Amino acid sequence: MSNNYFNTLPLREQLAQLAKCRFMDISEFPDGVSALKGKKMVVIGCGAQGLAQGMNLRDSGCDVSYTLRAAAIAEKRQSWKNATENGFVVGTYEELIPTADIVLNLTPDKQHTPVVTAIMPLMKHGACLSYSHGFNIVEEGMKIREDLTVIMVAPKCPGSEVRNEYVRGFGVPTLIAVHEANDPKGEGLALAKAYAVGTGGHKAGVLMSSFIAEVKSDLMGEQTILCGMLQTGSLLCFDKMIEEGIDAGYASKLIQFGWETVTEALKYGGVTNMLDRLSNPAKIKAFDLSEELKLIMRPLYNKHQDDIIDGTFSRTMMADWANDDVNLLGWRAETAETAFEKTPAGDVEISEQEYFDHGILMVAMVKAGVELAFETMTAAGIVADSAYYESLHETPLIANTIARKKLYEMNATISDTAEYGCYLYNHACLPLLADFMKGIKTDVIGKGQDLADTGVDNARLIEVNAALRSHPVEAIGSVLRGHMADMKKIV
Amino acid sequence: MTIRLENLTVKFDERFQLNTINWELAPNQHWVITGTNGSGKSALAAVLASVGESISGTIEGLPAKVGLVSFEAQAELIAAELKKDDADIMDVISVGTPVRDILNAAASNTQLLNELVEKFALTDTLERSFRTLSTGESRKVMLIRALASQPDLLVLDEPFDGLDANTLVMLQQYLASLIETIPMVMVLNRFDEFPDFITHIAYMDHGELKHQINRDDEKAYAELYQLLHLKTSNLQIPAADPDTVIPRLDPEQPLVRLNNITIKYADHKVIDSLDWTIQPNQHWQLSGPNGSGKTALLSLITGDHPQCYVNNVFVFGFQRGSGESIWQIKQFIGYVSTALQWEYRVGTGLRNVIISGFYDSIGLYSKYTDRQREIANQWLALLGMSERADQPFNKLSYGDQRLLLIARAMVKHPPLLILDEPCLGLDDMNRQLVLALIEKICADSETSVIYVNHHPEDQIKGIDNYLALEKH
Repeated sequence: MSNNYFNTLPLREQLAQLAKCRFMDISEFPDGVSALKGKKMVVIGCGAQGLAQGMNLRDSGCDVSYTLRAAAIAEKRQSWKNATENGFVVGTYEELIPTADIVLNLTPDKQHTPVVTAIMPLMKHGACLSYSHGFNIVEEGMKIREDLTVIMVAPKCPGSEVRNEYVRGFGVPTLIAVHEANDPKGEGLALAKAYAVGTGGHKAGVLMSSFIAEVKSDLMGEQTILCGMLQTGSLLCFDKMIEEGIDAGYASKLIQFGWETVTEALKYGGVTNMLDRLSNPAKIKAFDLSEELKLIMRPLYNKHQDDIIDGTFSRTMMADWANDDVNLLGWRAETAETAFEKTPAGDVEISEQEYFDHGILMVAMVKAGVELAFETMTAAGIVADSAYYESLHETPLIANTIARKKLYEMNATISDTAEYGCYLYNHACLPLLADFMKGIKTDVIGKGQDLADTGVDNARLIEVNAALRSHPVEAIGSVLRGHMADMKKIV
Repeated sequence: MTIRLENLTVKFDERFQLNTINWELAPNQHWVITGTNGSGKSALAAVLASVGESISGTIEGLPAKVGLVSFEAQAELIAAELKKDDADIMDVISVGTPVRDILNAAASNTQLLNELVEKFALTDTLERSFRTLSTGESRKVMLIRALASQPDLLVLDEPFDGLDANTLVMLQQYLASLIETIPMVMVLNRFDEFPDFITHIAYMDHGELKHQINRDDEKAYAELYQLLHLKTSNLQIPAADPDTVIPRLDPEQPLVRLNNITIKYADHKVIDSLDWTIQPNQHWQLSGPNGSGKTALLSLITGDHPQCYVNNVFVFGFQRGSGESIWQIKQFIGYVSTALQWEYRVGTGLRNVIISGFYDSIGLYSKYTDRQREIANQWLALLGMSERADQPFNKLSYGDQRLLLIARAMVKHPPLLILDEPCLGLDDMNRQLVLALIEKICADSETSVIYVNHHPEDQIKGIDNYLALEKH
């Protein structure tokens, strides 16, 4: 059935598409939402993301309504309630799609093929179809009618934030792209820009990318550092602490909330700041551990990237979709049975600093994962801006889901695509790190270093600091965080 | 058992500290803690509920079960509910915890809980999500939680704020019926609200417990009253910014015209078929019991309520839903409400909070002019906060935050100023300051005022139109 779009392109075109990503200045949006004026926007799906975007667009003066499957309307499902209680017109595909100038497909990836197949014949000649993720186009090779314009507008935050930031008078960073094979009138970019303005994204920074760069970097980030590394790290660190006699409740809490705490430092000041939160000897220790981890895990990161680029990953996963998700559901059940998942966080106080001091290994794992994902992506031709957003920028968002309800919550909240990739990573990474973990003691996970002398060698500290600060993810990170800070500088 | 604080110094965060408190509360005493905004009233009350980090000194005799009601505790509960809503990378909107579950979690006595729910007239809201409650209703939930837990000590920080008149009388009577069994400590800003059963008054100033007064000592009581009052004559409102241009409105058209308005959640109608027209230069007072839809109605005007798109709403020359953006609406409005204060959870500096009023934003995302900065400084001076201009807003006490948000609402001299219970959490002195400011603005011909208030004594000269809502 499917025909991987990326694989149909010649190499030079593949490279050009992967390398697309440019940070747009707010001065590039002088026309506001005018390209959408007088046009009818119809959103498919009314989950949190769909609702948030629709509300923002309507508050920006756009004409927005929602279309749901007839069953969702007849049974008054939650999506129907979300839309009607907020005062939107709701109708079936047959009622609304033929009236739409722009159709916003905000359904989950897995439903894209059936949904797009159902609506495409109903769409007006010359209308526009918008995606928020390019999997369907790039990996499944969905062919869109030639008269239709195809764009992508993807806010890089969960729906609630998309809405809250807009209400505050700001926005969230947003990625836009035009599918060049479907831009018959050459209006794709103008529509995507206006749509980004309508959701408030232009105030927080818009990245102009391509469908291909978005898909290949998004898949890589989510399955390695974002979800895979945090899941593998959680399981390994927990089992090690239990083995070393640390109280189970304490261990569970240290991990559940530790990722969120240490990556909060990452969000504000990159890998450098995260390691700067440690004492000098602990920082050097974390650095050494992460170097070791990078050496061991690099082939795994390369394999994930290679499988994503050549389509092996999506083919394998789609085979599982076709097989009733047997693998996915099996792995999900297996995760629910792990010791970490089943041990509730203890009722103990852990101060913010203690998460760093007692979680040196976790810091090292985040550093290794972020840097490896970034290095692997850029080596595959993805530009640094994309690679930064899909690795470092999103790690705190995922860490936050673990803080809520551990791995179950994380895997429930991420897409099925991310979840599938996460399990692949986890199964390969656990045995890969088995030997490494044998050498780990509670000084780096659970208890922290207990040193009588916290002195360090000057030359060694300078070397470590220089290595941290000169990593390419830090260079691009400080530029992009600077853009954000410029615009959000006072907050 | 007597509660004894000796030389107690307690830190709340880097910003606030209570210093060397010496205080004894005997079992048969009932205290009010009072003082100016930001003096540490709420902090001292919270210490009795074991909040804060003790630096030195001792505290003994604290009972095991303390029932605490405060804005901070309420804000925490609301924040926890909001956080649940954030869990939507999975793209599912959480519906929130029903009121019944929130109450059951705290109650130790079901019969008592049911009685209280009835007394506070919350029976109809039990199945609703806590998040959908109005300001007054969620306050009632906090009160019921504390009372139903059958505490050994009740700590009530501004328990009467935001309650409608009937509930207020009921609560005062109910508390009076408990005085033989439960010692009480209340934080109260308004002298006229001190219940008769109060035996002692503690006066806080700059984090210190300055005076402890026996209620029977009339001379000391009168002096304390004076201490809390200040003359508000010669008040000057800082001018508008000549460069912040608000488009001219057609003087022949109403500012707001609401026709046959209905607001409903699921099957529950909060507002049913209401008409309301506000002409330029009219001032209105809006009243009604908790849950009668006052805030919801106002948010139809501000554009914050999604049902403004399914109602016949005409504001500032725009028929809503005809292609206008909410920023085109908001430029005509200055707005203060408790809901806004909950939304305004930002760490930006105080001056920036005032400047954000020029941009209608929560937080500040625009480059501002020197003139705007100067105007904001004038407001800070008026509020007595000049030295704190760069401190983070979210570390301020509730009352000080409220004052700043009022300045933010007034800073651009908007055509329509909406003040939804502006005096909640303000001490006597600041309340008079704010009331005097509102009177000045009413007298000024460029702004129309909508004023929501439960306290009949907070009447404003110049307001002569009234709309009273009823609970459906």
